[in-house]
Amino acid sequence: MTSRARVVGRRLVVLTVVLLQLGLVARGYWSDHKEFAFQMFPESSTWRASVVRVTADGRRVPIELPWSGYRWEELVRDRGLSYPGVRHHADAGLDNQLAFLGAALEWVAANTPRDRETRYLEATVTSWHNADRPTVEVLQSHVREAAG
Amino acid sequence: MNAAASRVPARSGSLAARLDELLGRAVSMRSLALLRVLTGPAVLVHLQPFLSDALDGRIYSDAFYEPYAAWYPELPDGVYVGLLWLAAVAAVAMSLGFLTRLATATTFLIVAYNLFLSTTHLHNNRAYLVVVLGVLAVAPCGRELSADAWIRRRRGRAPLSLRAPAWPLWLLRFECSTVYGASGLSKLLDPDWFGGTVTWQRVTRARGDLEAWPLPDWAVSALTDRSFHTGAAKLVVLTELFIAVGLWSRRTRYAAVWVAVVFHVTIEASASVQVFSYLAVAVLVVWAVPSTRDRVLRIDPSVGHHRRVATVVRTLDWLARFRVDAASAGSPVEVVDRDGTTIRGAPAVAFALSRLPLTAWFALPALVLPAVRRAR
Repeated sequence: MTSRARVVGRRLVVLTVVLLQLGLVARGYWSDHKEFAFQMFPESSTWRASVVRVTADGRRVPIELPWSGYRWEELVRDRGLSYPGVRHHADAGLDNQLAFLGAALEWVAANTPRDRETRYLEATVTSWHNADRPTVEVLQSHVREAAG
Repeated sequence: MNAAASRVPARSGSLAARLDELLGRAVSMRSLALLRVLTGPAVLVHLQPFLSDALDGRIYSDAFYEPYAAWYPELPDGVYVGLLWLAAVAAVAMSLGFLTRLATATTFLIVAYNLFLSTTHLHNNRAYLVVVLGVLAVAPCGRELSADAWIRRRRGRAPLSLRAPAWPLWLLRFECSTVYGASGLSKLLDPDWFGGTVTWQRVTRARGDLEAWPLPDWAVSALTDRSFHTGAAKLVVLTELFIAVGLWSRRTRYAAVWVAVVFHVTIEASASVQVFSYLAVAVLVVWAVPSTRDRVLRIDPSVGHHRRVATVVRTLDWLARFRVDAASAGSPVEVVDRDGTTIRGAPAVAFALSRLPLTAWFALPALVLPAVRRAR
């Protein structure tokens, strides 16, 4: 590489990394997932969720009960989601935690082929944002076509 | 063209020239070489849960995970596990400095690949690890403190230059400062954080753990008191911002490093942050002035105490700050600083210890003692 190309390349790499890093820090203020935003211990918020399987015949079965050879805590092992019925700290903030819970519902709905009865999974989430009053919201997976 | 208009390109040209000079300036890579050695163990600790799962026959895709992008390549299970083990081997080689460039690049690529497999893999400490590995992979940091350098010497080949363009070092300094700055700023802008609500609630909920510590009752009461956190939270935020800014000035750098070590020890004692504390403290070495052997320690070899000081300095001078010379018989221990200032006796020992990575934190406070200040 010529000396000039080296100098320009060096300048481009450094400016790109600096701008990208600053962009990622800024993105952390609105994105659920805050990659490279370095917002440490952002909240004291807590949450718990009642997660059920809604079956084709309308039953609402808690995921604490094993089904079709599956156990929730074996399917969802990460991010503090193994035991959603227990009130947990939202390590990386509530938005991040609920985004993970929503994605976990989707993943379980899509990756339990032996389950022929569940139409969708539903989580009724109670969350406490820092010292605010609790709020309740409902998250649902997609509807499984194989059910019933 | 008028005079004002003609000055603009000249000024911007000079700015670009100054930037190029800064990025291309040849500086010592010693701190990055030391960081490379220290980062290998962090990679092994980081990989441990993934390898442990693999030994139990499980990988990430056996349970909930969330790819960042549908196009991101996912490997067959056996190949993936093989890559994880290769990363562990490469991390060891990186620390030892064996085939350093290849080992560091391999470690970086596999660790980064693994993290971006799933949103669930990424945590702040892992993001920082990827950043550090990325910088080490592009910096020529294997020419010292490495098996490569030893092998080269054994073969009688001329050593490679220990100086290289500074841009990777500046980039890592920027990233290091950003970690503290971004964290502090996010807390500063959040009224719940800055007002103390967040820390108060966290501590109150962990009161059971707190009471299990060997703390007196008044300390537990103080730590769980709401009004204590109104002030403590501001102290935390200002500490992070002080570290982020203070590292950039030579006048405040040592204070910022000292505070950063306390900060990380406190975090490590109170929270589970994986490799973050270790890595963040290790990265602080990049704030050392990137030149080597530019201070002189003079000792009288006939005095046992002097010889011990020299041994400590030679053993712990991982950043190669000192040249150790023999002084004439009867001379006190003497340190000649970069600017030519000479310090003698106990203040010289305190000064030397304050410049060694392992003893700096303990010795730095001694530099503010009046006797040591007068000696400079």
